[in-house]
Amino acid sequence: MSRRRWLGLAVLLIVLLCVPLVVHSDYLLNVADIAGIYAIAVLGLGILLGFAGQLSLAQAAFFGIGAYASGYMTVHWGWPVLPSMAVATVFSGLIGLGLGWPCLRLSGHYLALATIGFGIITQLVLINWTSVTNGSDGMTGIPPPSIGPFTLATYGQYYYLVLASLALCAYVAWRIKSTRPGRALQAIRENELAASATGIDPTRYKIVAFVLAGAYAGLAGSLLAHSIKFLSPDSYSFDQSVIFLVMLIVGGSGSIGGAVLGAVLLTFLPEALRPLKTSYIMVYGAAVIAMIIFMPRGLAGLLSAALGRDAATAARPLANPAQPAEAKGA
Amino acid sequence: MTFDPVANLQLLVSGLAIGSIYALVALGFVLIYNAVGVVNFAQGDFVMFPSYVAISFLLPSIAIFGTIVHWQLPLLLVYAVVLVLMIGFGMLFTRIAYYPLRDRGWMPVVISTIGVSIFLRNAAQLVWGSQPQVMPSPFPVQTIALGPLQVRPQDLLIIGVTALLIAFQYFLFERTTLGKQMRATAQDRDAARLIGIRVGRIVTITFVYSVLLGTISGLLVAPIFTVTKEMGALIALKAFAASIVGGFGSIPGAIIGGLAIGVIETFGGFYISTAYVDAIAFVILIVVLVVRPQGLFGERVGEKA
Repeated sequence: MSRRRWLGLAVLLIVLLCVPLVVHSDYLLNVADIAGIYAIAVLGLGILLGFAGQLSLAQAAFFGIGAYASGYMTVHWGWPVLPSMAVATVFSGLIGLGLGWPCLRLSGHYLALATIGFGIITQLVLINWTSVTNGSDGMTGIPPPSIGPFTLATYGQYYYLVLASLALCAYVAWRIKSTRPGRALQAIRENELAASATGIDPTRYKIVAFVLAGAYAGLAGSLLAHSIKFLSPDSYSFDQSVIFLVMLIVGGSGSIGGAVLGAVLLTFLPEALRPLKTSYIMVYGAAVIAMIIFMPRGLAGLLSAALGRDAATAARPLANPAQPAEAKGA
Repeated sequence: MTFDPVANLQLLVSGLAIGSIYALVALGFVLIYNAVGVVNFAQGDFVMFPSYVAISFLLPSIAIFGTIVHWQLPLLLVYAVVLVLMIGFGMLFTRIAYYPLRDRGWMPVVISTIGVSIFLRNAAQLVWGSQPQVMPSPFPVQTIALGPLQVRPQDLLIIGVTALLIAFQYFLFERTTLGKQMRATAQDRDAARLIGIRVGRIVTITFVYSVLLGTISGLLVAPIFTVTKEMGALIALKAFAASIVGGFGSIPGAIIGGLAIGVIETFGGFYISTAYVDAIAFVILIVVLVVRPQGLFGERVGEKA
């Protein structure tokens, strides 16, 4: 990265750090927390779809697994929050391994469908495994995290935990993207057969992408659990996975900044449309169609075009990831 | 539990009925996929939306935008009106959600069909409210006796109409020029264009036909399900699963996959667990994907070099 970009990032970080000092509305800070949490889950999806070209619609399931795992450990075992969140993150990553491994042979629509199935089964388990999840009544009494004697009780304090996690996740994603594993994943996205011919082991890298996607969503879910302190299975539905996907595509799937921007914009957009009352989600649906038609490279592409850089280096549009099923139509 | 042949036959009939619905919706998926290479995530809402339109004309009184209306019309007229409206809707859908994105790969089209789905569901809520509605049954009785069996006449209607539609589609694809043009377009769009087929028009017709398949399944299933904005979602996901189990892209696969999922799910719900009945389709799906990814009737899934 150039010195100008580092400077831009530093300024952005300082501005973000100041947000709770300027904004005092609990409502806005809560939405900001949720936006940051979603951004982490979307980043994970970005590694899987944007880097490796594997379409997953189970991101909300991992989000739920992380949330429930961390909630359960703190409520039933009395664990402190931060270690529970770490364990929940690892646990979701392991489940990601469990899903990724049998799905390796699949790609494109087939993979999407298998992950949809996984998501629906997960949600049914969350609803019906009442001894662990308390079913549709939801899990209550989840404690807020504390660092030493200091408890993150308000949305403003929680914001810093979310921001730190998001920064860490974005950094890891950026490191992956700009080093050998990232290039390997992108090679797999462009053409798996060619990638393996150059010595890349697609199996290993695809599994790593699945594990990372699961872990990111698990971390996001555990952050959500200790922020809203109440878990209900409805929040981890197929629809939520679709929302994550839309955030990523609108933001610009191969781009880290795009993934975060898409998550933030599409978390605040419905809130901004709330004055429209009952029709706001309808307008949101129409906005999604308009954005996909008029912003082919997503927000990231729009932004880098505005900054005068070559859009192609910032956000490659996801034109056609290697997909054997479509070989005949191409 | 002792084996009761009558009860099992009754389960079979209702399983075949719901399986027919999955089959029709799965056909809608497969036809669009074959024509343009994308999965239409709004297919389930093509089941839901016309059901709402139909009940607006069927119920003695219903609130539309909060205003009570009394439009009660004869059943067949309502079906005809809904079908005509949905043809227009299908053309609009193609124009807005597919046409501008046709050269940009499959992902943008998938996202825009998701946008349409969000739009339709919430439009339905806005127009008809969030209260579930019940479509009146076209039959005066709940069940009829068929020998020792007690079956719902609506189930028989569903199975009958589905059989007729499949026969019609076979005739359309095998015996008419239009059907042959549709098949040619699905096989190879560029070659179809080269021999003078108006591919854009054929694609629109395919979309409209899929919308109508959804509409008909909605009109058939609404009297046994309640009409809610979410009614299409699970039907569509299971139909999608069915089409993969059968072999994605395969028309007989979609029909047999749909029927199989409907029957297995009905028996599973009865014998295994009602709580997990909605998981059955997806467990079958994941097993099939792992053991035989090409499905029962599909071509081998393998990367071509």
